[in-house]
Amino acid sequence: MSSMSALTTALSALYAQRRGLDVTGHNIANANTDGYTRQRVEFSANAGPTSPAVFSRWTGVGQGVDVAGISRLRDAFLELRSNTEHGVLGELGTRQQILARIELGFGEPSDLGLAAQLNDFYAGWGDIANNPTDLAARRSLLERAGTLTSNIRSSARNLDALRSDLVGQVRAQVDEVNDLARAIAELNHGIVTNTNAGLAPVDLLDQRDLLVSRLAGMMGVTTKPAPGGAVDVFVGGTALVRGSVAEGLRVVDTPAGDDSRRTVSLAWSKDGYPATVSGGTLGGLMAGANDIIDGPDGYLAKLDAFALSLRDMINAAHAEGKDLYGDGPTIDFFTGTGAADIALSSEYLTDPRLLAAAAADGGHADGGNALVIAGFASRADGPDLLYRGMIVELGVQTQTVNRRYAIQHEVTRQVDAARDAQAGVNLDEEMTNMLAYQRAYEAAARFMTTVDQLLDRLVNATGLVGR
Amino acid sequence: MSTAFRITQRSVAQRTNSNLQYALSRLAKTQEQLSSGRLISRPSDSPVGTVSALRFRAEIRQTEQFARNADDGLAWLGNADRMLTSSLDQVRRARELTLQGANGSAGPDARNAIALEIEAIRDSLLGIANSQHAGRPLFGGTGEATRPYAPDGSYIADPPGPVVVARAVAPGESVRINITGPEVFGPEGANLFDVLTQIADDLRNDPAGLAGGMNALDERMRGITDALGDIGARTNRLEVMRDRAVDQIGALKHNLSEVEDIDLPATIMDLQLQETAYKAALSATARVLQPSLVDFLR
Repeated sequence: MSSMSALTTALSALYAQRRGLDVTGHNIANANTDGYTRQRVEFSANAGPTSPAVFSRWTGVGQGVDVAGISRLRDAFLELRSNTEHGVLGELGTRQQILARIELGFGEPSDLGLAAQLNDFYAGWGDIANNPTDLAARRSLLERAGTLTSNIRSSARNLDALRSDLVGQVRAQVDEVNDLARAIAELNHGIVTNTNAGLAPVDLLDQRDLLVSRLAGMMGVTTKPAPGGAVDVFVGGTALVRGSVAEGLRVVDTPAGDDSRRTVSLAWSKDGYPATVSGGTLGGLMAGANDIIDGPDGYLAKLDAFALSLRDMINAAHAEGKDLYGDGPTIDFFTGTGAADIALSSEYLTDPRLLAAAAADGGHADGGNALVIAGFASRADGPDLLYRGMIVELGVQTQTVNRRYAIQHEVTRQVDAARDAQAGVNLDEEMTNMLAYQRAYEAAARFMTTVDQLLDRLVNATGLVGR
Repeated sequence: MSTAFRITQRSVAQRTNSNLQYALSRLAKTQEQLSSGRLISRPSDSPVGTVSALRFRAEIRQTEQFARNADDGLAWLGNADRMLTSSLDQVRRARELTLQGANGSAGPDARNAIALEIEAIRDSLLGIANSQHAGRPLFGGTGEATRPYAPDGSYIADPPGPVVVARAVAPGESVRINITGPEVFGPEGANLFDVLTQIADDLRNDPAGLAGGMNALDERMRGITDALGDIGARTNRLEVMRDRAVDQIGALKHNLSEVEDIDLPATIMDLQLQETAYKAALSATARVLQPSLVDFLR
């Protein structure tokens, strides 16, 4: 080893430790950056030639240090786990919010909800039965019937507005998905180009992985590594991103048919073929619009069933009676085809005498029919049961989702903790590394000074005898 | 669980955040319960409790209506009772007068005077038979006519039969609260007013017929007494039913409160505990997040 090559060794050490300090600085700078993976400089000792040469001599001492590369310290398996868990969490969180809004809309149990108004309605018939010829009692009942129907209608309207809201959110999220897909494709392109140029695009990889995990929170996706460090993203088995090419999704809002309810779904922009999306916030939003609110078992259908059962029960009983003119009623008490348009027939408001309070065989001032309707309050079946059943199911459903969300939240937190433990920046560790690099740098500089002094002694202080 | 992991400042900060969030949300929930006084403010707080609450509310509302119905019925029966008691006094007076008239010592003038008084009593009784309660004839069934007895003493209400007007006082149970004219004052053609008209006529023209009139009057008096007994029995029943309904409302409200309202001491205790836990979490956070190796390097 020549004296000159010792200078090279010192220089390589200065470069390498500097690089180490740079990376430490980068790590500290990104200690709080989302999706950042801590980086590490890989050093390797620069050994001598692997094959002995004929004319050159090698002393067997190495030639300093090389920077072999910069690596990202992350666990791909934990990344995947985290993506999956975030997808489930996103869906449950969305369901939870939707159900909470439905619960709030019904406002049960209270003295103001539909159940209380239904009770008031029955009690109104009881007052008519007590005083069948009193027009004030009749007006009071009609008032209550009006309030009841208007509240059923507004409950249906609330649900409908919530659905429109959800469809709007689906549209916004699909736009975001398309943006994300394009950004991922662009990053893929950059990564492949950099890799081919022999560079290590570690920060591009971080950015790309962050976008993929954001996408995974919005919809269930699967990923597959592709050549050159790129990653392909699949939705329901079809590629959303393949290398540097991104596909698009669009929203299909199908109106209600003769025997089908409204649905909102996704399709591929390129060919209109339906896209299968499950999980994630998008999956939750679509389940909310298609199942929870407007499905065959949704709350709109349940509210409809309740409204129709009330309409039919009261209309049938009312038609059995006789009004103050001594005639059987010719007009239905309640009109409408569902919860959205159930209403009290306006004829009764104009002339309360038309209310058939008397039994068909009763006298003018008989209240037999009103008594029958008032007695529905203690019926075990009918609209009351449907309504109670709906509220209980809403409670059970919400409670279940709340519990599942709490569990999933904990699971996600643990997986994230495990992932962050691998990939996150520990400041104490960085401080220690910084010290190590700094000391090594100082030592390398001292080594260089030493070699310099040796050369100085040799060049300037030798061969001066007798001068 | 996390001892096997590498720990970073950021993950500590994140976990701290989520723990504080959890502690605060529990505190908020208890605070909500305490300020609203309610354990169940939405169905998911307790689906089973919600069903009970809905049921209890429905039953309370219905039972309140039963109590109202019973009160209304009691007013009807009370009025009928007062009217019939007063009519009974007058019929007794008519009987005394008839006895005086039947006594052979009374001359035609005296008998005419008695006949006049009996006619006056008859008119007064007719007024009672046409009396009203809350705009409806007390003894007139459900007909349209507001005066069920014509001035000649005939029953003109429609339908003429004994119509039942009842009040629902419990699920599937109702009590009759009316009594129609013929049930009290006797059948058409032989009712109290016909009997009194006949007696007045006999006093003037055929004193020998007064004995038959006396018998008929006794029978009508029994009819009124029976009606009074019947009304008394029904009043008792209604009173029992009303008291039961009122008791039941109290019990149901208690049940509802058990299901729906918070247990105040327990909730305050909870709040204290959660507040302590939250404070502990905050103070632990303040200690753990502070130190760093940087503090110890010069």
